[in-house]
Amino acid sequence: MKNIVYFLVVVFLAAMLFKSGAVSAGDEPAQEHGGDIIYTKPVKAVIFSHKAHTEDLGLQCGWCHDKVFEMEALNMQKQADFDMDSLCNERYCGTCHNGDISFSTTTQCARCHIGVKGYNELVEQGKIKPEPKEKVVAK
Amino acid sequence: MKQINIDLDNLKDEGLDSVSGMERRAFMKIGLAITGLFAGGKLLSVISNVEEAFASESDFVEQYPYRPHYSMMIRQGLCIDCERCVEACRETNEVPDYGYRTRVLRQRVTDAIGRQREFIPILCNHCNEPSCTRACPTKATYKDKTTGIVMMDRKKCIGCKMCILACPYEARYFNEEAHAIDKCNFCWDTRLSKGKKLTACANVCPTGTRMFGDISDPDNVVYKMVHQIEKQVWVLRPEAGTKPNVFYSKATRSSPWELRRQPEER
Repeated sequence: MKNIVYFLVVVFLAAMLFKSGAVSAGDEPAQEHGGDIIYTKPVKAVIFSHKAHTEDLGLQCGWCHDKVFEMEALNMQKQADFDMDSLCNERYCGTCHNGDISFSTTTQCARCHIGVKGYNELVEQGKIKPEPKEKVVAK
Repeated sequence: MKQINIDLDNLKDEGLDSVSGMERRAFMKIGLAITGLFAGGKLLSVISNVEEAFASESDFVEQYPYRPHYSMMIRQGLCIDCERCVEACRETNEVPDYGYRTRVLRQRVTDAIGRQREFIPILCNHCNEPSCTRACPTKATYKDKTTGIVMMDRKKCIGCKMCILACPYEARYFNEEAHAIDKCNFCWDTRLSKGKKLTACANVCPTGTRMFGDISDPDNVVYKMVHQIEKQVWVLRPEAGTKPNVFYSKATRSSPWELRRQPEER
């Protein structure tokens, strides 16, 4: 009797595991990366695709996190030196995008820069929340 | 191999009468015009007809009738569509939300390798032969005699919008508050006439996409960027024959990053 109960428990647990696995693989695939990150500072807007870097290129999380980029999304753009000068000095994205490991940050500008148009498009599609409008004052 | 000695200098030109129209067209298509026929049609002399066929730059880069001859070079490979230029223009020239003096267009090439989008800033081309000024019945829009800027005299404008139709660059809009057409004037009233060297858009451009200057001055950055053969330079809609003063190039910058922006004082 004890054996039968033990067997049933094992079967039940296995079924639960299988079920949860099936659900995560079907309706809502378990995302193992951070999706698209849209930077809006210092300019609007720049896209970083986790999919392109991990799924397509096969890079490991640990290669960038936590040393080059903190885990929390968009935390890096709060840094005062998060700009193209830094990138050209092989910091942030420029760590790899230096023309050696991957294409240089001095080339193909609009490959990552999606611009205000790209940003507005993502807002319209509901993929990102709009930010309050900022005004640029000419000096 | 048999050596053929032909005294090319002393051959007699037999005239073009025997060259058929079809043959001339065939040569035209590859960019050559037949100028002479020799040795019973076995030899032809030809010159390039590219100048005539494609209205090349030389038409409008060699002559600069104004002093200073204001001009803009747009290095569209550098544009990232941050639209600071558009914002700065709105602030400086009080452009309403429904209108524009400058815009940034987007072109997407989804089958390209790597970069698949491109941004193209557009504004009034301040043409040497503007079609808008010819269309205006009241001379409210005119070519300024000293600077070459295509100006608007709001008092004379009757709002007929003929200039909007005439402009090949869609550079004009109707300003409802002023009840007149409004357009880019290279910030003449707001900046240049007050001693500033750059337009508002060129001044805020963080990448150096927009370079503004005097193309009649060989020391000026715009002159240097147009008068070279390293990078291709073109104008928009050359077939309109308007001889624009806004030039385009795909040049990207290889020199240090901090030199990218055009400095206000030069």
